[in-house]
Amino acid sequence: MSVKAVRIVWRITRLNFRAQLEYRTEFLLMIAIGAIWQVSVIVFATVLLTRFSGMGGWDSSDVLLIPATRMMAHGLMVLFLGRMHSLGRYIQEGRIDIYLVRPMPVHRQAQLEYFPTNAIGDLTVAGGLMVGALSRSHLDWTAGRIAYLIAALIGGMLLEAALFTTVASASLRFPSADYWSRWVEDLLGTFGNYPLNVLPRAVGGFLTYGLPLAFVAFLPAAVLTGHGHDIGVPYWLAASSPLVGALTYLGARLLWRWSLSNYTGVNG
Amino acid sequence: MAALHAWRAARVTPLGELLAPPRITAALLRLTVQIVLVASLWRGLYSQTGTTAGLTRDQAVTYAVLAVLASRLRELDQYAGRDTVLQHMHFGTIIYWYLRPLPPQRYYALRAFGEQLYGLAWALTGYVVCLAAGVVEPPRSAAVAGVFVLSMLLGQLVLYYVMLLIDQLCFWTLRNGAAMLILIFAQNLLSGVYAPLWFFPDWFITMSRFLPFQATLSVPLSIYVGRIPLSDAGAQLALQAAWVAVLSLFTRFLWRRAARRVVSQGG
Amino acid sequence: MNASNTRTANQIEVRGLSRTFHTTVRRPGFVGGLRSLVNPDRVPKHAVSDVTFDVAPGELLALLGPNGAGKSTTIKILTGILRPTSGEARVAGVVPYEERERNARNIGAVFGQRTQLWWDLPVRESFSILRDIYEVPKAQHAARLREFDDLLELSSFWDTRVRHLSLGQRVRCDLAAALLHDPPVVFLDEPTIGMDVVVKEQVREFLRHQVEERGRTVLLTTHDMTEVARLAERVVLINHGRLVLDGTLDEIRRRFGSTWQIRATLADAHAEAASLPGIALVRRDGPQLVFGPDGTEGPTVHQALKQVIERYEVTEIAMDEAELEDVMRAAYVQAGPRAEET
Repeated sequence: MSVKAVRIVWRITRLNFRAQLEYRTEFLLMIAIGAIWQVSVIVFATVLLTRFSGMGGWDSSDVLLIPATRMMAHGLMVLFLGRMHSLGRYIQEGRIDIYLVRPMPVHRQAQLEYFPTNAIGDLTVAGGLMVGALSRSHLDWTAGRIAYLIAALIGGMLLEAALFTTVASASLRFPSADYWSRWVEDLLGTFGNYPLNVLPRAVGGFLTYGLPLAFVAFLPAAVLTGHGHDIGVPYWLAASSPLVGALTYLGARLLWRWSLSNYTGVNG
Repeated sequence: MAALHAWRAARVTPLGELLAPPRITAALLRLTVQIVLVASLWRGLYSQTGTTAGLTRDQAVTYAVLAVLASRLRELDQYAGRDTVLQHMHFGTIIYWYLRPLPPQRYYALRAFGEQLYGLAWALTGYVVCLAAGVVEPPRSAAVAGVFVLSMLLGQLVLYYVMLLIDQLCFWTLRNGAAMLILIFAQNLLSGVYAPLWFFPDWFITMSRFLPFQATLSVPLSIYVGRIPLSDAGAQLALQAAWVAVLSLFTRFLWRRAARRVVSQGG
Repeated sequence: MNASNTRTANQIEVRGLSRTFHTTVRRPGFVGGLRSLVNPDRVPKHAVSDVTFDVAPGELLALLGPNGAGKSTTIKILTGILRPTSGEARVAGVVPYEERERNARNIGAVFGQRTQLWWDLPVRESFSILRDIYEVPKAQHAARLREFDDLLELSSFWDTRVRHLSLGQRVRCDLAAALLHDPPVVFLDEPTIGMDVVVKEQVREFLRHQVEERGRTVLLTTHDMTEVARLAERVVLINHGRLVLDGTLDEIRRRFGSTWQIRATLADAHAEAASLPGIALVRRDGPQLVFGPDGTEGPTVHQALKQVIERYEVTEIAMDEAELEDVMRAAYVQAGPRAEET
């Protein structure tokens, strides 16, 4: 992305943000719902943590790192790349056809369609949880660990975005692919917050190699907390989670480009 | 009966799905994966714990799997068929709902009825399969089964009205309506779909009692697994019925107001 | 066609129809915005003001006017969706906004860009659903479908899902859907917009058939002047919510389309140019004469042509009629209440 492109993106984002501010109640409500949703997930996760001891042999302060990482990554995804989630709707409204006529990449235009106000709530709460998790953690937070955490967050963001971008690419051809989007979101929300080694091997394997959920938060957290050697996944693979995230995102973008070139428009 | 004359309207959404085998396989796949994952999760969580929040391992697994099956009852894909109220408002085709000798509310009700019936067929089949596979437990007694069926029926009615309410909001808010999202979120969370409400803190459970969402799923399922004993079931059923009455009156009122809103669309 | 339930003189009656909308205007600035939340400024918009006209059974009326003139509002009132602020309307003897369902059985409607078909289902399924809703007997339904297929060639694609149809195909299906229950009155809001010429002609033929053979009353909104010229005998022009003109096409031409020309080449280059009533000689080049209207309320171009041929011996003759579009533009521009004469 060239400097000029960055400037355009920034300007449009500011305009979008201001557009959201126009409707003040809506704006505040959207922040609220982002926050409320995350809080409820946290409440539930902590409840589970207290009721179910020994989550796969992990200390509770270590387990807390998983939802913290996942939510932070998710919040970042919503903020920067989240419009892929609603792409099905844009396709139906014929917006892709409009985007194709403009001199900006379609993917970027989709992301700039509106400002995701709920991401503010998402990130605020996720940030709070992260602070809480870090403060309760018994780990020694060296520069290396912190750097890895940041890399894991970015990798997690890219991985979640990759999943939604893949579904969006399918939506370009199959109108009902949109449904998978909701399903992926459900799965990520339900299973992304726990140590996956409580699940049987086969199931955990599916969530690692099938739908690569584990790389978003569980595996990086395992590496950080020193459990990286006994989670059923090779250590080097777990440690390279950020890389996995980046690579899958790259693949997803290539898939997107290919799907877009085969896009045949919305009506006959 | 006059209402029967538009019976074909009831099968609109299921027909759209049946005519597209890929959609059916996709739904089947999602359902199966979800059940396996959910059952594994709860078994895994319980592997080192006994009874928690009043639920044994089998109760929790049964609850969670039934919740996944029940989701088939409400989540048919109207969206791909451009048949949601939101899309009708957006494309302006809502106007035709008011041009036919069939009142919009009756069309909506017929369609929902057809969808829930179709979803029920799926859920029942899934239930039989899961029962045979030992994933879910059968109800403890015939009485429990009977009360459960009644409670489920009431729960589906409450669910219908809640979804209707969410759809009716579209007549007022249209896009990215935060109010709509909040309602959807509340419905998802507080109905107990993600996890039995019993695991939440007490204040949460108390709060959810004042909302209709838990009446849709949590109450029937809790009766089924025995978390709500038969002695308490009567009060719960009465509460469900009360919600049905309140919501039906409220949504009827909203239909009248919605008709006036249809007006302000387009030049 | 089944007998209409009333034998009133007019199928559609509109008397003094008015409809006002109130829009809220936000005051500028932050404080103004807050104040608008509590005490909003309401600005009245008179979409339709005191419109009166009739449509006889079996007549095709074109409702014309620039965008935002109030045509759609009028149609919405006649279909029962909107309630007028004052005045009254009757369609086939029924007051539409008071007896919506009863009115719905008497009308069919096609709104140009919007389809009433079910997107995900084959077209024929949509027809079946509508058949159920309107309670059309099976035999009649089959017969009507055959008829529509003859006229609109639907059978080649009526098993396709609506999402896969082209615009022309879809509008043809929408037309069939609107007429499935044999309504005596049909409202068409820009039905042929965006279609290709061939399909447009097919639709026009279909409409003409419906009016002439089946005796339906059609109220058509359109911007396509060829369509008006080909289909409508009568035109109602609405501008700024008011009825500006109600008359036949000829009357409109006479009132607004004053320019025409007849170019004649005389057999005898030196013949005398006699004067003809209402016709002026604009120019003469030897045997070539150019005639035009003389500014008075004169003959139409057809009548002038006849007079010229009768009076002179001509070897060649050609006429240029003012384009209906120009006529309409002149009519649109004239804002103001309906003139009393003509």
